[in-house]
Amino acid sequence: MINAEFLMLLGGCGAFAMTLYWVRVRELRERYAIGWLAVATLLLLTGLFPDVLKGIADRAHLSYPALVLFAALGLIYLNSFFVSVALTKHYRWNVRLTQQMALLEERLRRLEEAKTAKPEDAEATLAD
Amino acid sequence: MRNLIVIPAFNEEEALPKTVERLQRLPAGFEILVVNDGSKDRTKDVANRLVATSRLPLHVAHLPVNCGIGVAVQTGYRFAVADGGYRYVIQFDADGQHDADYINALVDLAVRDDLDLCVGSRFIHDFGPGSRSTFLRRVGIRFFAGLIGLMSGVKVTDPTSGFRCLGPRAWRRFADSYPEDYPEPEALFWCARNRLKVGELPVRMFERQGGVSSIRKLKSAYYMVKVSLAIVFDRIRGTEVVMPAPQPATA
Repeated sequence: MINAEFLMLLGGCGAFAMTLYWVRVRELRERYAIGWLAVATLLLLTGLFPDVLKGIADRAHLSYPALVLFAALGLIYLNSFFVSVALTKHYRWNVRLTQQMALLEERLRRLEEAKTAKPEDAEATLAD
Repeated sequence: MRNLIVIPAFNEEEALPKTVERLQRLPAGFEILVVNDGSKDRTKDVANRLVATSRLPLHVAHLPVNCGIGVAVQTGYRFAVADGGYRYVIQFDADGQHDADYINALVDLAVRDDLDLCVGSRFIHDFGPGSRSTFLRRVGIRFFAGLIGLMSGVKVTDPTSGFRCLGPRAWRRFADSYPEDYPEPEALFWCARNRLKVGELPVRMFERQGGVSSIRKLKSAYYMVKVSLAIVFDRIRGTEVVMPAPQPATA
């Protein structure tokens, strides 16, 4: 019979398999895989030892589904937030690379122009 | 003294030649950098052609994708840092709204008062219709001027003006970090709160000669919220110690 514990166990195994597969094909960096493996482990443990989660729910005066929902939403929030942080960082890197490329292109244009006019001018431009 | 005029251009094939032509009246010592911000029209070709015809030295930097006004302007500051020989960097719109006749006055005021940022303001003198923007924009500009005054103690009249002259302490720092979209009020606020010297010069502005404004009706609300938040966020950051800039290398 399917119940919440069984679904968590299944989810944990699936998360493990997915993480390992994407790391193996080098499309997920190990630093991100650590977080996902931690999620998979958590799912597996809560599937294997449901009483732990039930005990926490009792102590927090929450129903079992409410606690699971709260924990899941918390994880989703944290993950989304850090994805935004990573995107911001990557945006900055992209901008810097784009600017550097445009500036190098202009430098190359000036060099070629100087070389066409006078080879020694090109050397002077290069030395600037 | 060499000064650099940075012209960010996005889809400005129509207005750019006239804008560059008006700058040709400036004396020697001024150089122009057109930053083509991933334009979809022929701005790239137009800018490349202008290199050959411009009396003043004209450089071009083509960003392969559209990155926004802040990134385009920052590319100019980074160009100035890489060159190492410029004293002042002047931001000047490609769309023909800014009057090239005021560039010398902006630089002169910056030199005379040792300003780190000298902003061309539309609201100190009344130069007549066409110069002062629409009513709603004026309300927005007053709001930002009030917010900046409240949070930094520096009184300004035209914080959104993109016609500005920056001294080396400002443009060297902005080469490293500059607001990405709608950067003018934020950049001005950063200067004011970090005790850089800010001043304003009354300037006349024209109706845009071509292209499309980066701030359209639907984006106005976002613009107001984003810039206000950015100013508030910037206020809660620590004050930076801005060191004196090194002397420019001689050409």
